[in-house]
Amino acid sequence: MCPHTSLKQQFLKKWIMGLQRCSFSKKNMSILERKKTIKLSADIAMASARNGTTRWSRALISNASKDGSDNRLVQQILGPDSNTPAVATTTNKARTRRASVCKKIVKRSHQIRRRRRKCVAAAPVKAVTSSISKHLVRKRTQVLKTLIPGGEFMDEICLIEETLDYITSLRVQVDVMRSVASACFSQS
Amino acid sequence: MDKGEKDKYELENRNENSINYQAPVMSSDWQFGGANLTSAGMSLVPSGNPLALGSSCASASVADSFGSNLWEHPSNSQNLGFCGINVQNGASSSNAMGIGKSTLTSLRSGVDRPFDMGWNAASSMLKGGFFLPNTTGILPQSLSQFPADSSFIERAARFSSFNGGNFGDMVSPFGMPESMGLYTGGMGLMRGPEDMFAANGMKSVSGVESQKSKLNVTEATRDACLQVENRAKKSPGNDRRSGSLFRANEEAKQGAGGSGNESDEAEFSGHDGGQDEPPSLDGAGGEPSAKGLSSKKRKRSLQDAEIDQAKGGQPPTEAAKDGAENQHKGEQKQTTSVNKTTGKQVSPASHPPKEEYIHVRARRGQATNSHSLAERVRREKISERMKFLQDIVPGCSKVTGKAVMLDEIINYVQSLQRQVEFLSMKLATVNPRLDFNIEGLLAKDIIQSRAGPSSTLGFSPDLSVGYPALHPSQPGLFQAALPVTGSNTDVIRRSLSSQFTSMTGGLKESNQLSNPWEDELHNVVQMNYGTSAPSDDLNVNGPQPSGNT
Repeated sequence: MCPHTSLKQQFLKKWIMGLQRCSFSKKNMSILERKKTIKLSADIAMASARNGTTRWSRALISNASKDGSDNRLVQQILGPDSNTPAVATTTNKARTRRASVCKKIVKRSHQIRRRRRKCVAAAPVKAVTSSISKHLVRKRTQVLKTLIPGGEFMDEICLIEETLDYITSLRVQVDVMRSVASACFSQS
Repeated sequence: MDKGEKDKYELENRNENSINYQAPVMSSDWQFGGANLTSAGMSLVPSGNPLALGSSCASASVADSFGSNLWEHPSNSQNLGFCGINVQNGASSSNAMGIGKSTLTSLRSGVDRPFDMGWNAASSMLKGGFFLPNTTGILPQSLSQFPADSSFIERAARFSSFNGGNFGDMVSPFGMPESMGLYTGGMGLMRGPEDMFAANGMKSVSGVESQKSKLNVTEATRDACLQVENRAKKSPGNDRRSGSLFRANEEAKQGAGGSGNESDEAEFSGHDGGQDEPPSLDGAGGEPSAKGLSSKKRKRSLQDAEIDQAKGGQPPTEAAKDGAENQHKGEQKQTTSVNKTTGKQVSPASHPPKEEYIHVRARRGQATNSHSLAERVRREKISERMKFLQDIVPGCSKVTGKAVMLDEIINYVQSLQRQVEFLSMKLATVNPRLDFNIEGLLAKDIIQSRAGPSSTLGFSPDLSVGYPALHPSQPGLFQAALPVTGSNTDVIRRSLSSQFTSMTGGLKESNQLSNPWEDELHNVVQMNYGTSAPSDDLNVNGPQPSGNT
């Protein structure tokens, strides 16, 4: 994608840097470990390419930093930049934890209300169909929230914006990785 | 007042948007704001009391700006009409400011702007379409004059559901100065309409008439031209429509008699007075103008705006209060449909004009509860963003409806994530080391950035500098390196080389790496020269990595 060339190059550069850093830390890794490292470094590179402007990138980095084993890798990849995201991540974590708790409570109350409503007399057809569609939409937004890193704590508008950005980043990631893989496999 | 006059002249000179924008800053001339809006898409009265102005002179001035814009810029005519109306109606300072700023940025955007401006003004002023009744009868003729009527209608329809937040972007680069000139010309010719306003006691009109004898007949059809004339004085740019109008404007400005000046002054004073008493005028003039702004009533509001502008040309003393009164009278006179339509969208939907508030107007026949309005805004935002997603996600162009779209989006995101997993697994199988194919990657990067077979071997001297210590056995590997054209590759290489140099203990790796690098380098070169289909490679190698897992 021509318009994403700069992003691709940025991602590639960071990815290679990250790989370089991790590769020299461990000599022998199982294939799964390697795959995990590759993927993680790619994700971190993609997220850092956004420079903390989008929520999903911040959430992704913070999630990776949470893990003890991956934290080292993240630190290596991010290098000196890791300081700034760390501050944000701590606040994000606290906020997200609180938000998650609140959301769980709200969800439970909604479910209870829904069950009560179903027991009540059936609503007219029009309301039923609209409620069905609303239910579908709500379910799907829930699924989407699980897909997007850090999406559980976003409202709908933010979620859609983040999805847009996340999709473009994923595309760039796939393109670069595919070209790298093809370059590697062209030898064999 | 001085400022206002200056602004007027600036407008007439068709200065850049910046100039026009400065004009709105002058609270004294709300008309200016309106005129500026129409001509240069200038923001409405910046701080003044747009409401106040709208109530009294504003309407007149807006109409003027409207008319002038319409005349001057066929393309913008539609916008101008609205803008003028909006100016009148939405005499909210916040709106004006917002619009002004937006106009500054997007003077040339044209059509959309005027609507936005008008809407903002209208929303705030949703009081009554007093403009409508007066102008309905007159404007149709003038509207027919607009070259871009069809597009105008389109825009009107489009903006029927405008979001308050979009107004900023929609500032229309009205050719205020030009339009003003047109209107001024038209004002003079409009004797008939004057009768209508006679009751309103538009003295300025008469004064203007004297100067507009040479104006075109078309312009005469505009009642609001009276107002326009005043506006024209303010808005300099009479470029396209007619030099005569300009002349008329100039005459008016110079006060070819006392009348011309009076009208101008009346406008100014009216505006000033309006500004001075925003609350009083606001209630009166603002509401009528606001009513006229309903999305469905743009044309009518246009007419009303013109009428209002005509009314605005009253002498200064009366301008402030009389204008409002006249407007009210105008409304009453031509109520009927206009009032009905405007009445539906009266104040409940209008929020008090505040700075930096997104003004949304309730659609016709819809609830005007603040909650429902906010809900509507939110829904529009979401649908707007869903449209972007439609473009990005393949296969979503025909799909409508949130649920199906979301389903597609979820599938797409999942497929992309799975692709990443798969590719990372594939890459993990390539070499035992993670730092695989650096040269290949660099070459790839080079290919991505610039096409060049020669660049495949572009290992920068940096690498060679770093490597000789690590790969003494293969100096030749890097001798073939050619300068890389891509700057980013240079950066990458430098970063890589820096990393390599920092790895003092990496001698072992370096030895291990040298061989694969050499191989990969050759492969990369071959690959670069040949066209490889990555998809094929993937397909071929697909089963293998998965088999490894």
